[in-house]
Amino acid sequence: MTSTENLLKTLPNDIGGLSAERVERVEHQLKPWEKRCHALADVLDFHKIINTEEKRRGVEALGSELISKLTYYERWIAAFANILFQKQILTPEDLAQKMDEVATRDGALSQRASET
Amino acid sequence: MHPHEHEHADQSQSGESPGYYEIMETAVRELLIERRLIDAGEIRRQIEVLDSRTPALGAKVVARAWVDPAFRGRLLADGRAACEELGISFYDDTRLIVLENTDAVHNLIVCTLCSCYPRPVLGLPPDWYKLKPYRARAVREPRAVLAEFGTVIPDNIEIRVSDSTAQVRYLVLPKRPEDTEALDETQLAALVTRDAMIGVVPVTL
Amino acid sequence: MNPNSVTGIVPALHRTPLFAAGDLIRVAARFPIGHYRVPNYVRGKMGTIEQVIEPRAVNNEEEGFGRNAGSSRHYYRIAIPLTSLWPDYAGPTQDGLRIEVFETWLEGA
Repeated sequence: MTSTENLLKTLPNDIGGLSAERVERVEHQLKPWEKRCHALADVLDFHKIINTEEKRRGVEALGSELISKLTYYERWIAAFANILFQKQILTPEDLAQKMDEVATRDGALSQRASET
Repeated sequence: MHPHEHEHADQSQSGESPGYYEIMETAVRELLIERRLIDAGEIRRQIEVLDSRTPALGAKVVARAWVDPAFRGRLLADGRAACEELGISFYDDTRLIVLENTDAVHNLIVCTLCSCYPRPVLGLPPDWYKLKPYRARAVREPRAVLAEFGTVIPDNIEIRVSDSTAQVRYLVLPKRPEDTEALDETQLAALVTRDAMIGVVPVTL
Repeated sequence: MNPNSVTGIVPALHRTPLFAAGDLIRVAARFPIGHYRVPNYVRGKMGTIEQVIEPRAVNNEEEGFGRNAGSSRHYYRIAIPLTSLWPDYAGPTQDGLRIEVFETWLEGA
């Protein structure tokens, strides 16, 4: 097998048995957006808009670099966006416009909060 | 009340403006709500569902199994049905197999491919469970991993590592510690930690 | 396929489990691309069926691409000794893995 064939045939999350460092018992309280993201995943699975296995595949499809650099819930929301585009439920333009709107709205709120 | 105002109130109180991914999450959620594919009430409700799932539920199941042999039998035969007897409903289509630790066998659970975990009965998994060191090494050198948690299992006790890959989720039923005959079910449940139900530590007094 | 000698019934394909608890099996040595849920570390390994998981369910590798129903078959909880998985396993020989595998990945051994 060539080395690139091996890469293609091995998912980035398929790590059982690889060498790794000591287990560090890290944990953190979920941020509110992370909890909303988890709730979103459960609701999407209930409706089979994006089932849990599609989410897993979507995270794998991000590829090793993104998987290693994004946090757990960042990977989920990026995967959701891609899957929704693929299913033609949203377009990249829809998401970009809405994200601008959200960012502007929140920027304005934070500004008002810091002024009071 | 506008559906997202509650979340905005959280953000301005903390003084932090939302990061890129939080903005993405908000945008995706609002778009799906606008398109009527999901509704805001479902998200709020599912957050409440998630908040209601903590290791205390699993501890209650373990304590009941320790004091009631008939329940323990039903739990080992069908984990999900036995949890439902105690009012612990599942919110997904997963099954539950409960793995009993004995004088001959010690169980631990892992998901090498992602982060499968018995969430309906334990809540959300800790970060370490989802990170590479645990996932890669638990199936390769479980005794060394357990030692890092301070748990030494004698060689005459068989270790079974269960790797979740599909619909089944696992919960370890730890051994009841010695000298607990006088404790009632509530007191027993208070001894049972999340990590004992993952199988990386025993239950101790 | 011979009809059941008592009832004369021929069961439909894929509805009855192919394997039973105690059967010796091998996990297929296949290396597909796309989405898979059988980790590399068990490919080609021999093990024993510990339990037939009921009920039948969708192939999760197809589920990952949007199949939500249909073509259900059985999953099995398989036992594989750690010494079979890792040639240099330092622990006791009774230590083992348990893993859930879809029927299409299993061969009689």
